[in-house]
Amino acid sequence: MAGVSHSAAPLPPPLAAPALVLLGAAQGPVAWPRRPLPLAAESVAAGFPSPADDYIDVGIDLNDTLIRHPSSTFFLRVSGDSMTGAGIQHGDLLVVDRSLEARPGQIVVAVLDGAFTLKRLVRHRGRLRLEAANSAYPPLELYQCGDVQIWGVAIHVIHSLGRHG
Amino acid sequence: MADALVLIDANNFYASCEQALDPALLGRPVVVLSNNDGCVVSRSSEARQLGIAMGKPYFQIAEQLARHGVVVRSSNYALYGDMSQRLMSSLEPDVAELEVYSIDEAFARLPRPRSGDLGPWARDLRSRIRRNLGLPIAIGIAPSKVLAKLANRIAKADSRHAGLFDLCRQEDPDPWLESTPVEELWGVGRRLGRWCRLRGIANARQLRDMASDELRAKAGVVGLRLQLELRGVSCLPLEECPAAKRETCVSRSFSRPISELGELGQAVASYVVRAAEKLRRQRQRAGRLTVFARTSPFAPDFFSRAASVELPLASHDTAVLLQAALQLVPSLHRPHRRFVKAGVLLQDLQPETQLQQHLLAPLPPEQQQRREALMTCIDGLNRRYGTGTVRWAACGLQPDWAMRRQQLSRAATTRLDDLPTAWAR
Repeated sequence: MAGVSHSAAPLPPPLAAPALVLLGAAQGPVAWPRRPLPLAAESVAAGFPSPADDYIDVGIDLNDTLIRHPSSTFFLRVSGDSMTGAGIQHGDLLVVDRSLEARPGQIVVAVLDGAFTLKRLVRHRGRLRLEAANSAYPPLELYQCGDVQIWGVAIHVIHSLGRHG
Repeated sequence: MADALVLIDANNFYASCEQALDPALLGRPVVVLSNNDGCVVSRSSEARQLGIAMGKPYFQIAEQLARHGVVVRSSNYALYGDMSQRLMSSLEPDVAELEVYSIDEAFARLPRPRSGDLGPWARDLRSRIRRNLGLPIAIGIAPSKVLAKLANRIAKADSRHAGLFDLCRQEDPDPWLESTPVEELWGVGRRLGRWCRLRGIANARQLRDMASDELRAKAGVVGLRLQLELRGVSCLPLEECPAAKRETCVSRSFSRPISELGELGQAVASYVVRAAEKLRRQRQRAGRLTVFARTSPFAPDFFSRAASVELPLASHDTAVLLQAALQLVPSLHRPHRRFVKAGVLLQDLQPETQLQQHLLAPLPPEQQQRREALMTCIDGLNRRYGTGTVRWAACGLQPDWAMRRQQLSRAATTRLDDLPTAWAR
């Protein structure tokens, strides 16, 4: 049973919820979450059992599809246009796996002058260099810059097609 | 061959996390401050080399830090929590058993290879964690938990060990035990430490070799286990599943003293909101709620008060907990007192599933379901768009008493709006 120490008044049953304030990104009133629809329901009251019952899948999870090593995978936001030739636009979401060994031909995140820099690792005349995918940016010979660290390998880029929904 | 017990921990964990996600900090001295930007709680190795002391109040050394160009950060728990999970889940596939002991350390048990040498494995693990997460770790290997902790300390203390020390691979472990002061041993508290010193027992080797019955008389079975562990007999098991939490506490210091009842209410309300969130994440309900507040213990007329209430029905509904807490707040408050800290404690925690139906259930089941859905929705919005997206009016809109975190880095691994930038230039 309810018992109160220190404060004298007994606790009445909770009534209305204290008011909610909505700020920031979420606009509009709080909607009741809709019941999620199961992909296929087992209980069919009448008629033939669904021929699909034996083939129910769990749905598609992009985390599973895009990320092989969750603990070493990081997301970065792309800024700039030097990689447009590789299909990477300003504002895109970059999926980077740090556990992969960078190989020539791959798009990598390198640490250059204290910043994450997006380039393609290329073998050119027997030497490794970092190239942009935009002819306005000159390549960077690795042997010429002493302190370059390959931070991770970019494995996917997610490009949003504008605002929707 | 007996299994090895291993203690793996991250060096300067908070500072290392800051460096891992901000390339501008690589190779630079970094310190992380405690709550409210109070003291230095973590130093990068570069800051350590500058002689920046641990635990120093920030205001005392702000000038020294600036002079050395030290980067100062507030504690970014979102980042550290995420990196901790990444670290622990990276260790799991490597070992037979893992006990996550704290945010940055874990005990592991694994069989020794036929050669007896875990060195190659440990070196490989260190370089993998360094590459995959950007975190430096230290590994101590021994036959028991107490000795693994001791070995880990040695691994870190001397850079010649390169973050790895296997006590079993030493010709004679005694000098290493002798170099470990008794107070530094895991499981030796201040009282036992003092008692040992009074008996002339100054280091781990002496404690290991002292008469068992004498130790037993002082420290009971706990003392005997400690001694057995020091002798290389493993008797403290790994705790793989942490026991369900019995209480959840949220308490913080304010950025400035609070005297108004209204502000104290807002502070308590915001801690209740946080605690209720934790409760739902732990899938628990609370049967009892305690609120407390205090003035500064260093000021004259120190004042501290707690008040507690049993809930008619265990709950994890923020509205229910808020109402219970806010009724108690006036009993904490005294006019003209300058409160510096308050908190809320949720007790008598029960698993979500165990909700016994109650004659006095405040809401009909259907309405109850809608409340649950509302809580799930609010938690979802706050997770997705960041803490504070949906707020409770009782917490106040822009509280200026809230914890100071002026040098907070971004939630670089947990919020889409805070992701690090990859420059394409």
